Amino acid sequence: MLTISSLSKSFDKGKSYALNKVSFKLEKGDVCAIVGESGSGKTTLVRLIAGLERPDHGTIELDGEVVSSLKKLVPPEKRKIGLVFQEYALFPHLTLIENVLYGISKQKNKQERAREVLELVGLTSMENRYPHQLSGGQQQRVALARALAPNPSLLILDEPFSNLDAMLRMQLRSQVFEIIKKTGVTAIFVTHDTQDALSVADEILILQKGEVVQKDEAANLYIKPNSVYVASLFGNTIQLNKALQTAFECPLNANCCHAIRNESLTINSECEYVTHAKVLKKTFLGDNIQLLLKLDNGEQLTVLTKERNIEDKITIGFNSKDVLEFSS
Amino acid sequence: MKQAGSSDIFSIKYRLERLKRDSNKWSIFTLAIILFIALPVISIGVKLFAGPGETWGHIVDHLLPDYIGNSLFLVVVCSILVLIMGVSTAWLVARFEFPMREQMEWLLILPLAIPSYIVAYAYAGLFDYGGSMDLIFRWFGWDFIRIDIMNKTGLAFVLSISLFPYVYVSSRAFFLNQANNLLEASKMLGVGEVRSFFKLMLPLARPAIIAGLILVLMEVLNDYGAAQYFGVNTFTTGIFRAWFSLEEPETAVYLSALLIVIVFALILIEKWQRRNIKVSNSKSNITYIHRKKGSAWMQFFILLAVLIPVILGFFIPLVQLGYWAILTAHNVFNMDFLMLSLQSFGIAFITALITVIVATLLIYFSKWSFLGFIKSIARLGILGYAIPGAVIAIGIMIPTLAFDKWLINTLDYLFSIKTGLLINGTLVALVYAYCVRFLAVAFNPIESTSLKVNNTIPDSSKMLGVGNLKTFFKIEFPLIKTGIFSALILVFIDVLKELPLTLILKPFHVNTLAVKAYEYASDEMVMEAAIPSLFIIFTAALPVIFLNRLLIKK
Repeated sequence: MLTISSLSKSFDKGKSYALNKVSFKLEKGDVCAIVGESGSGKTTLVRLIAGLERPDHGTIELDGEVVSSLKKLVPPEKRKIGLVFQEYALFPHLTLIENVLYGISKQKNKQERAREVLELVGLTSMENRYPHQLSGGQQQRVALARALAPNPSLLILDEPFSNLDAMLRMQLRSQVFEIIKKTGVTAIFVTHDTQDALSVADEILILQKGEVVQKDEAANLYIKPNSVYVASLFGNTIQLNKALQTAFECPLNANCCHAIRNESLTINSECEYVTHAKVLKKTFLGDNIQLLLKLDNGEQLTVLTKERNIEDKITIGFNSKDVLEFSS
Repeated sequence: MKQAGSSDIFSIKYRLERLKRDSNKWSIFTLAIILFIALPVISIGVKLFAGPGETWGHIVDHLLPDYIGNSLFLVVVCSILVLIMGVSTAWLVARFEFPMREQMEWLLILPLAIPSYIVAYAYAGLFDYGGSMDLIFRWFGWDFIRIDIMNKTGLAFVLSISLFPYVYVSSRAFFLNQANNLLEASKMLGVGEVRSFFKLMLPLARPAIIAGLILVLMEVLNDYGAAQYFGVNTFTTGIFRAWFSLEEPETAVYLSALLIVIVFALILIEKWQRRNIKVSNSKSNITYIHRKKGSAWMQFFILLAVLIPVILGFFIPLVQLGYWAILTAHNVFNMDFLMLSLQSFGIAFITALITVIVATLLIYFSKWSFLGFIKSIARLGILGYAIPGAVIAIGIMIPTLAFDKWLINTLDYLFSIKTGLLINGTLVALVYAYCVRFLAVAFNPIESTSLKVNNTIPDSSKMLGVGNLKTFFKIEFPLIKTGIFSALILVFIDVLKELPLTLILKPFHVNTLAVKAYEYASDEMVMEAAIPSLFIIFTAALPVIFLNRLLIKK
């Protein structure tokens, strides 16, 4: 339903690329997360899809129609894409219901439709309030209702939860995606929080410096990341360099990169590769304790553990099945 | 990350294709507006090729050194005076607590409500034989020591006391918004008030101060009324003489071109002095200012120091004019005068409306254009404010006269219709010229409020299927109303006060308050000039206070 091929965008006339030859496809009804660190081009990508930026190269097809190419650009207002902005961008001088009605003013049963989507997000009782009278989470839901009202063929959410605190974030995340699943709309959402992505997306697209690094289902990405970058996006990883390999006495394929997730490390228990370590420093982080270790061969290593009672000398180890191997 | 093969995306072929794709009607409209605004300057440039007039050689030999010398003298002396008055008052008001401080904040802006030529009339009357000073001295039984101010030093004084608020406003804005954190840091390091001011504040405030100073200098070069009344030959009076007395448009054009060069040199200097300075985000820096409270004596002297410029620039001229107004009310105040006032207000209002519309179109059209260079070109439109009114008037005369002649001939030839001049010498040309000159006055407040509206707001309107124009009326206009309103008022006042451009371009039967005051003063009836002057001052004074409110709100 959405086909993007070789999409490039530079903001400095080719000196650097915010997006470089990005291609991917999205099937109808899918929820796709675009993940990457800040500056990786996530927002540029969705703004290009929305038509708010103009690509330097490449094409975008929506429902079989080319909406963006070198020859032709369908303006954003004609693309039937709903966009929920990071800062919600509600119209401050319009009430909640007026905000929702704004995009469907030409429809016949607009009042019913507006009430319908407000009910969907659970804000019917507040329809006559102004945006500044709402909490952040409520504003977010209004923005979602407003974007859904015209029945867009594609819904884009740009960093939808980044302005909310952790508790509200979790709560709202499940609410929002319940609504999205209920409507069955194809959705793209941008995030730098991999928790968001893993918990709700059918598919995840990873961007790094404007290029697609990996695109896969959530579970696959976690198990089989194709680069250290992807692995490190989904949790703490420790790169197994030559020095660490000798410390743990685990010779690995020299032509590949290897890493191990922090959670796969075990302390004071049996496993395939172990080494002794001296605890140099313990830092209490609340849910975790951060340990600065000095290994037998003098190498230093920082790990996180849930273990509360750590003695000064420990053994640390891991199993070969948990080693992540990357070709580059 | 640049990859092999990426570079061809920026080859000429692809660039041209994108240029074709990204050009839209808004780009063309923006260019059209800029062309419309730039036409006067372009005409002067083109007209230069026609060669100078007969007297040009004579002017270069005998008058030009005088024009240059006097204008330079005014620029230097006014700079020194306005810097002393503007920066010191701004610092005192921003940093110290003293009685009536809040009133002084806006009183210090009030001199801007009186056009400099009217201040000049008032001071000339004050120091004249038989003038107010003479009367006061005699009343006390003293000998009158007459100070002759009808010369270039007097002119520099008059211009400075009426224009210093530009520097006051820009430097105070800096001291209020930016300076406090840094100053506190300086104090924490044990540096005293005076040393902090000279070592820290002054260098930091320099860009703001110079921005205000440039505005003053543009007004100094623009002035015609005061220089003419004091008999000082400047570029502007030279342009008038070439146009009206010598009836040599070519010479006026050459003088105008020279003046444009000088003004643009000033602008370049201003840009150059700001080259290394980043505009800091003032939002994060605003903290409550803790003002210093000195001893009673110190407070008294501070009050005195800030009061003197206000007395010189506002109250003395006001009292002098008020006195004259009482003496001449029976002569001046009649039905004709009321009609003239209405006409003057009407012209100012129509101009304000048109200028605000043009400024808004320019801002939003260039925003809706996808071409980067269009946005830079759009900003050229506001340079009209730098160009002296007399120069703009000459620049408008040339193309409108040519257009009218062409139109008359064409209509006659094609349809045998006989008409007179349709634009030149009509209100159309006058309003056009005002619009060119005051576009920046409307542009700046509208732009600054429009920048406060986050781009995602119009973007989300577009994502909801609404086009640019409808988005503007439904979403953006309601959000930038205050900016548009203040733009309307500011242009209205500037048009009301405007003299040189109006003198050259006004239709024969049309008059404004400013021209009326000028005519009285030129006809040796300076006392009669008081009532039209007071009309201008009172209309201008109210929004000056309003402007200050806006500044504080910021």
